[in-house]
Amino acid sequence: MTTVLPLIIVVPILAAVGAFVLPRWSFPVALVGSLATVGLAVALAIEATATGAVRHTIGGWRAPLGIDLVLDGLALVMVLLTALIGLAITLYGRGYFGRAAPETEKGRQAVYFWALWMFLWAALNALFLSGDVFNLYVTLELLGFSAVALTALADKPNVLKAAMRYLIVSLSGSLMYLTGVAFLYGGFGVLDIAQLSSLTRETPALAVAAALMTAGLAMKTALFPLHFWLPPAHANAAAPVSALLSALVVKGSFYILLRLWLEVLYPLAGTFVPQVISLLGVGAIVWGSLQAIRQTRLKLLIAYSTVAQLGYLFVLIPILALERDNTLVLGGVICFVLAHASAKAAAFLSAGNILQALNDDKLSKLDGLMRALPLTVTAFGLAGLSLVALPPSGGFVAKWLMLDVAISRGYWGLTVVIVGGGLLAAVYVMRVMGRLFKQAAQPEVLSALKPVPRVMEFSAFGLALLAIGLGFAGVYVLRLLEIGARAVAGGG
Amino acid sequence: MPKIADQDEVRLTAGRALLLGMSLVLTLTLAAAVLSLPEDQPRLAQVALERLPESGVGNAVTAVLLNFRGYDTLLEVAVLLLAIIGIWSVARTARVWIKRPDTPILRAFVRFVVPLMPIMAGYLLWIGADETGGAFQGGAVLGGMGILWIAAAVWLPQRGGRALLRPLLAIGLLAFLIAATWMLLARGNFFEYPPEQAKDIILIIEGAAMLSIGATLALLFVGGAPQKEESS
Repeated sequence: MTTVLPLIIVVPILAAVGAFVLPRWSFPVALVGSLATVGLAVALAIEATATGAVRHTIGGWRAPLGIDLVLDGLALVMVLLTALIGLAITLYGRGYFGRAAPETEKGRQAVYFWALWMFLWAALNALFLSGDVFNLYVTLELLGFSAVALTALADKPNVLKAAMRYLIVSLSGSLMYLTGVAFLYGGFGVLDIAQLSSLTRETPALAVAAALMTAGLAMKTALFPLHFWLPPAHANAAAPVSALLSALVVKGSFYILLRLWLEVLYPLAGTFVPQVISLLGVGAIVWGSLQAIRQTRLKLLIAYSTVAQLGYLFVLIPILALERDNTLVLGGVICFVLAHASAKAAAFLSAGNILQALNDDKLSKLDGLMRALPLTVTAFGLAGLSLVALPPSGGFVAKWLMLDVAISRGYWGLTVVIVGGGLLAAVYVMRVMGRLFKQAAQPEVLSALKPVPRVMEFSAFGLALLAIGLGFAGVYVLRLLEIGARAVAGGG
Repeated sequence: MPKIADQDEVRLTAGRALLLGMSLVLTLTLAAAVLSLPEDQPRLAQVALERLPESGVGNAVTAVLLNFRGYDTLLEVAVLLLAIIGIWSVARTARVWIKRPDTPILRAFVRFVVPLMPIMAGYLLWIGADETGGAFQGGAVLGGMGILWIAAAVWLPQRGGRALLRPLLAIGLLAFLIAATWMLLARGNFFEYPPEQAKDIILIIEGAAMLSIGATLALLFVGGAPQKEESS
């Protein structure tokens, strides 16, 4: 059954090639690729829950010579998350790009969207499953290039500038990561994560590698104050792309950062580096939320909300690096990743529907849209509930777990930030919701609305339901994370 | 004549001095860290050389690229295809390539050199199994050939053959995927070639990859998606 492991990378690459070589068939190819990838993810989940962590030795060459693919609980949760959100994005993309022939401008964009999106999916799966620090660099390249090209796809005047800036940040981040890989190899002589895990000690090489890799990956994850590139890129991209970027792409680089601190860089857990990361996370929550409150456009508001929410992912890094075996701490962070990914994807897709109907996303134009687009507005509201972390939602469970960790260890400052961040989120979510539910609609605006394909409304709503449903799945997520927890602790 | 640099632009301001100082500190830190690296560290090169006879080829670089770490190379070949798709998604061909430069020297040179280039590429590919060479080197030569063709307007992406471009760009990645997946289904491990056929499989993959690499490099030079020639 371990044969499924490489297939979950092969199938989306094949779909990407197919969508590019057969432009007329790009959507059917991508749809089949998406369904097959989701099926493979489910098969992997069944296998891993039955038999434990899965390791696939590529080419039969054992590490250190070859590259291993590793599926433990952490990787499995990320692959499943990508599958669920990916399926919704594929359906939404069909509504968004429509059935235009490849000769038209819209149809031309659609062909590239399908090819690039399938490459992005393959890159994410490859990244989550990689057990080798150099191979992770290659997956980062694949992920970064497909994300930048997808960003540039929207036909808006500002988008090329935003995409160019994104490209430069992405490349610099990758290069810093690669330099760190060189120091790890120079210092310890292997590239396999499990082997590095048993070799790393507190040496100058490890410290420099940690600084370079953490800075590079933090930049790619848009950790405050390296977030400057994110709002223009995420806000100007096409709706399905915005959702992908905010929900999944930034989580890719964060996932590598998390794995590194859990398995390779942990001898430095007692130094100031993880403390700095945590403090920057706090900065992100405060600064991102305040900026989100100030925005006058819906997509920019959601993008700044991403800057704020990404901060939560970093605040527990010092505790995680110290207590590597503690599934509860990891569970808090991962539940937050899941909750934010589904809620943010739902929010961006809803914003895309509003933009499609209104041809504008100024907050002042949103009055009374609840009556015109009830399903979309409900989806946005449910996503907002999870962003604010009200029960019952995925965001609530995640923050509950994080608060538990912070309080039980006496981190009172962190407790205040986590609770306060939720209040700030409530302010910016209510700014939007207040408008959407306003009674005094502008009749001339509402009568001129353009129709929104049903599939776009339903896929946004489906993701919003997922964001809420995660509120009931916390225990299940923790149980999945237990799979191969020894491997996470470096024993594998 | 536009001024190259204003006086203000080359003056050392406080901000620039700070950046300079920070860069200096970074350089010194990196240098110190490099000097601190252990010298007696066992390297992977040693392991690779020991297992070379099992790889099917005699050149250690080819063995690492196509066999031991063939999966990395597969993803790199995917990055190459992704680069072309990314560029085509934002831009179409510049019309400037339609113009035929009327230089007899260029055309004579192209007529003399171009026929030799596929032979050279094929030789590099073949020799790559045991000596320096391989798909990337051969592909670079083919890419050079494509650029010469385009520069001399012997062949333009606009002028027919467009239907073949996409399959040509993708065939390297496809060969890689099919070979690796076939091994997965037949032998249970991704990329696990049977030792006695390893060389043949590697050569086929490299041959296909060379074609795609050559096409990619030449079309990157054009800088946009080829489009139909407008009937004017």
